[in-house]
Amino acid sequence: MTDFSIRSDNVDVEQIMRQIRARIREKRGVDYTEEEIRELANVKLEKFLDPRGVRSDLLEQFRRKREASLPPNFKFEDTTLFETHRGLLAFIRRLLRPVLKLFFNPNPLIDALHIQSKLNAQQAALEPLYYEVIHNLVLETTRLGIDVKNLKMRVESMSSRLDFDERRARALEGVVQYRPGAVPPLQPPSGGGDSRAPESPEQSERRNRRRRRRGRRRPEERTGGRSGQGAQGAQGALGAGGTPMSEGGEAEPIGEQSDDRDDRGLPPVHRDTDGEPSES
Amino acid sequence: MKLAVAVQRYGADINGGAELHARYIAERLARHAEVEVVTTCARDYVTWRNERPEGVDQVNGIPVRRFPVTHERDPNHFGRQSRRVFDQPHSIADEIAWLESEGPASPAMIDYLERSASKLDFILLFSYRYYHAWHGARRVPAKALLVPTAERDPAIGLGIFGATFRSVRAVMYNSHEERAMIQAATRNEEVPGVVVGIGSEIPARTDGERFRRKHNVRKPFAIYVGRIDENKGCKELFDFFLRYANTFPRGLDLVLIGSAIMPIPQHPRIHHLGFLPDEDKFDAIAASDLLIMPSYFESLSMVALEAWALGRPVLANGRCDVLKGQCIRSAAGLYYERYEEFAETLYALESNGPLHARLGRNGRDYFTQHYTWPVIERKYLDMFDQLKREDASGARRPVESLGGWLARRQRHQRPAAEVLTTIPSNAVVPGSGAAENLSRSA
Repeated sequence: MTDFSIRSDNVDVEQIMRQIRARIREKRGVDYTEEEIRELANVKLEKFLDPRGVRSDLLEQFRRKREASLPPNFKFEDTTLFETHRGLLAFIRRLLRPVLKLFFNPNPLIDALHIQSKLNAQQAALEPLYYEVIHNLVLETTRLGIDVKNLKMRVESMSSRLDFDERRARALEGVVQYRPGAVPPLQPPSGGGDSRAPESPEQSERRNRRRRRRGRRRPEERTGGRSGQGAQGAQGALGAGGTPMSEGGEAEPIGEQSDDRDDRGLPPVHRDTDGEPSES
Repeated sequence: MKLAVAVQRYGADINGGAELHARYIAERLARHAEVEVVTTCARDYVTWRNERPEGVDQVNGIPVRRFPVTHERDPNHFGRQSRRVFDQPHSIADEIAWLESEGPASPAMIDYLERSASKLDFILLFSYRYYHAWHGARRVPAKALLVPTAERDPAIGLGIFGATFRSVRAVMYNSHEERAMIQAATRNEEVPGVVVGIGSEIPARTDGERFRRKHNVRKPFAIYVGRIDENKGCKELFDFFLRYANTFPRGLDLVLIGSAIMPIPQHPRIHHLGFLPDEDKFDAIAASDLLIMPSYFESLSMVALEAWALGRPVLANGRCDVLKGQCIRSAAGLYYERYEEFAETLYALESNGPLHARLGRNGRDYFTQHYTWPVIERKYLDMFDQLKREDASGARRPVESLGGWLARRQRHQRPAAEVLTTIPSNAVVPGSGAAENLSRSA
């Protein structure tokens, strides 16, 4: 969810809304407005849908067919038969209407046509509803198509990340194997730092860089390197990116088991003279 | 100074938006002028049936003169007339027939306004779309000030109203968006106008804890105040809130205040308290975390102003230009147009204390600067002064003719709904092109 920091007295609501929309876009992957979805449904349907399922020009065909087949409707009231825009003619018709009724009764005809007119109107009123239903269906199908596409992409992304994690885990497992002749087994510290061999300026600089990168350790961690802690330290350091991996992410082949094991039976790791794992 | 306030209905028990607006304005202006209210005997805005006695009455110390309505509204006939003028090409005569069928038709009221115009300084006509406002503006244009209370509906696209808006002395708008819409529809930029709105009687002290005790509301909540109606956006609000509640099981509750004319979902976090007296309503707003306004159409939301007055942020429907514009201009509310935005904005207001506090403070400032009664009264009085100066200069705008008998029957008028689609809609925001007059009117 969005988290805003309000630093000043001036709050820009539009800016906040922009941030919120950006956040939504980020979460959804693709942020389509209703208009965009409508446009996609009209224009790019075939990109997202199986054309055998829903035709991309369905709406257009429905609209065309409806317009072509729409019969004209007439309002039919009891006066419709006798209507005219000529005043005189209307007067004559009104005058002669009783005479007309002597010959036949127009009322059933008027009633039937009135009902028919209403039915036509009802039908015409239903047509837009059908259209709307189909329209909404197409929109929703498009939206679902887009969602499915996004989800597929996410699944692919997660699967590749999972694959990477698995390879990394295998590599880390391989790190703790002994490699013969790489470095002598870790010796417990003798208490002071004087037992170290003299080091060149490059070595000293490299160690300082590494120390800066990792932060300063507590004295007991730095000097009291029990073998078990050393192994854990190696895992941590290599987890940070120093894993010696062969091509394809596989760990190097496991060598012969050596006798150089610590008191917990763990194999030794490469260490600098100050007890830190080395970057080999 | 003598003023008349003409409105379709009037009474202490009438809570409709424009009618309540008219009553508040009449009562406030009565402190500065001699005010008489001119209205009909109708009480029901659907039928306009004459239910109150004709003659002079007193409401909260203001004289109210009532005139009978000549015919009740026939809903079927009005529906047919509305379809004709909104959806089909039609004539001016059709529009006048629509106005007549909409009502409340009271020729006696218009005659009275014309007779007494010489004794009055100004006549405030409320609600542009009704019979009294249109006929009143045509009969006494030299005294008429229009308070349109216009919403974005097809009526604004009818041709007969263009002449009304151009011929009155001044227009008192409710919001910048209303003004932009009316000016786009009627090209009445030359008519003096000011965005005023309406004040609200905010109690000096509110007690949120009293509300919580009385109604047994313990958890933090968002509040909705108003008629619980699909047309007010409540259906969408319920949909969104239920989804939000599923996503955030420990989030805000939703308290609803107002009469319900649609079913309310049964959910442990939705509490409907029905219609409450004002004291409880203000306590409830004070106790709430924020106010939600889901309405799509508002010319001015009084309850949003009340929430701001009490320092509560507003979460508004961004599809309502007026509410969105007010949120942006006040910097006191957020808005949403779809669920994702609703969830994010509600969560932001719920969880981000500094943001909530800042929006609340901005809301209080915004209300104080623009909607306290002294500000509203001053805007009206300033407009009266301006018009009196114009009177002295002798400038007059003639009333536009609607044409002769034949011209009125020519079917040359476009469907009003079609006209409405050509009127731009958007929030008026400082810095945008539509807001060029914002600072001037404010």
